[in-house]
Amino acid sequence: MSGPLLVVEGLTTEFPTRAGIVRAVREVSFHVEAGEILGLVGESGSGKSVTGFSILGLIDPPGRITGGSVRLAGCELVGLPARDLRAMRGREIAMVFQDPAATLNPVLRIGDQMALAIHAHETVSAAAARARVAEVLTLVGIPDAARRLDAYPHQFSGGMRQRVAIATALLNRPKLIICDEPTTALDVSVQAQILTEMRALARDTGTALIWISHDLATVSSLASRIIVMYAGRVIEEGPIRQVLSAPGHPYARGLLDSLPAKAVAGKDLMQIPGAPPSMLALPPGCAFAPRCLRADGACDAEPAPTVAGDRRWRCHHPHAEPTS
Amino acid sequence: MLGFIIQRLLQAVVVMMIISVLVFCGVYAVGNPIDVLISPDATQQIREEAIRTYGLDQPLWKQYLDFVGRLVQGDFGRSFVFGSPVLPLILSRLPATLELTLVAVVGATLVGVPLGMYAGYKPDSLAARAIMGISILGFSVPTFWIGLVLIFIFAVQFGILPAGSRGETRELFGISWSVLTANGWQHLFLPALNLALFKFAMMVRLARAGTREIMLTDTVKFARAAGESEATILRRHVLRLIAIPIVTVFGLEFGSTLAFAVVTETIFSWPGVGKLIIDSINTLDRPVMVAYLMLVAFFFILVNLTIDIVYVALDPRLRLRAAS
Ligand SMILES: Nc1ncnc2c1ncn2[C@@H]1O[C@H](COP(=O)(O)OP(=O)(O)O)[C@@H](O)[C@H]1O
Ligand code: SF4
Ligand SMILES: [Mg+2]
Repeated sequence: MSGPLLVVEGLTTEFPTRAGIVRAVREVSFHVEAGEILGLVGESGSGKSVTGFSILGLIDPPGRITGGSVRLAGCELVGLPARDLRAMRGREIAMVFQDPAATLNPVLRIGDQMALAIHAHETVSAAAARARVAEVLTLVGIPDAARRLDAYPHQFSGGMRQRVAIATALLNRPKLIICDEPTTALDVSVQAQILTEMRALARDTGTALIWISHDLATVSSLASRIIVMYAGRVIEEGPIRQVLSAPGHPYARGLLDSLPAKAVAGKDLMQIPGAPPSMLALPPGCAFAPRCLRADGACDAEPAPTVAGDRRWRCHHPHAEPTS
Repeated sequence: MLGFIIQRLLQAVVVMMIISVLVFCGVYAVGNPIDVLISPDATQQIREEAIRTYGLDQPLWKQYLDFVGRLVQGDFGRSFVFGSPVLPLILSRLPATLELTLVAVVGATLVGVPLGMYAGYKPDSLAARAIMGISILGFSVPTFWIGLVLIFIFAVQFGILPAGSRGETRELFGISWSVLTANGWQHLFLPALNLALFKFAMMVRLARAGTREIMLTDTVKFARAAGESEATILRRHVLRLIAIPIVTVFGLEFGSTLAFAVVTETIFSWPGVGKLIIDSINTLDRPVMVAYLMLVAFFFILVNLTIDIVYVALDPRLRLRAAS
């Protein structure tokens, strides 16, 4: 098969609320190559999770995808019948969430709840399912997995629980796993371990990852390419090295400047001034304008994406001119 | 676990002792049985003799100690009215109430929980509204009124179901049961339906509220992301998670119905303990009242203990606490 594994084009997802329509994801476009790790970065509320759920067709009504397309290996997912979407979830694209304490069912044994994910797609014997569960748990670094299938989630540490969730996502050998801040709720030392393990896992199994994080540092240690979201839009995209060395969009630049590694000893970290806009009252034109030091009259109009080679951004006055 | 049960049983002994005092004093305060038992124009001599044989000339504390003394030998005393030992009298009536209660509570749960789950799963559907409408009816219309309406419709108007008594019974373990004959079921149906309606309403509410809450959790989202079907999610995840409040209400309803099915038993002339206790209150038959109330207290302790044990079986997180 040629072409990217996943192509998202013009994806728009809206939630009607009492206060008005929240356009959580606005005309988002990006792609993921087979086996690639794509970083998705943005502040809390910028639409990262909604993007992930939109890809899986898991937007809770009354919210819905109002436009755009999501193609997996050339096959359109938006508008697919519910049963086809269900068959795709877990087997083609899986997802891991932020808080493993909330995702695992506290009253089911680890082995039993993981087996449910297998039985969702295949009719296999209970013994075969159990064996596969143990195998994948070992793969994600759970020692003595076969003997711990009958344990309950609360008998595991936070890091171990997240490994169980990751193993659940891996069970049906999906081509892509959307990892929605899977290390945010964990201790720093455990975070680093899991990052290292995930990189190795993705490489060994050939699984592509969309690694969502609000933390640029986490993503930069993992991803080969990165997209940055702000107020529901992708405002910057490119190979990780190029974006880190020469960010185009002022918001991406601000994120980079606020990284601890960039700070000069004795000086405060640079912070982006102001707060993200309310999704219900977005300013006309560029949503970042109220916080942007480079904003001028031109920014009252929505900036169109500028494309140059692998890189892309939405800004009237970018820091770096696109070079190919 | 064993330590936990022993501890609870010791507590139960203390509770039973306190209750015996309360019950004894309470029943004593209700009225003087001599006024009911002996016709007003009996001679003074007959009066005093009766008072002596029933032990009513003794001070209250002495009567209580005598009662407790006999109780520890398993003797609940003799009925003033029937002259026979109280315990066999109550136990002979208990199976009728027991089967009525069981059918009502189990039926209400088996029908109410799935309907409630459906109403919680699709809260805006027409069916959900209909289910909630019936449950409001079950809550707000008095039991005796529904009982009379049921008799009017099924027994009087259409004449398809009998309006009272237990019908044919069959012996099992030396006890007669209506549930073992088809004719018995016909007699059981209306009173059980009458009793079940309120419990059904409660189960519907409980299951609906629990399902609505749990459908929004990450546990369900994660299961969906793994491709599990909605039926699997409801059966394997949601049902297990809402089981705890349902078991609680099941137990308490079972206990209270066993003790206080009075109204329904009276309307349908069902010869259970409810009718017995009403009669004993009317005749101020103290030994029956005391023994009955003690038995009720004992049931509740038993029910609560069972609920606690089932909790531990249902929620693995409690096992640690129960062990310590
Ligand atoms: N079910 C929902 N109903 C209404 N608004 C929602 C819903 N889910 C998300 N949103 C809104 O969409 C925006 C993006 O949310 P999200 O994708 O969760 O952000 P994040 O980047 O932190 O993952 C937020 O403003 C949030 O309030
Ligand atoms: S378009 Fe204007 S306001 Fe928006 S980021 Fe670029 S310079 Fe700033
Ligand atoms: Mg999020």
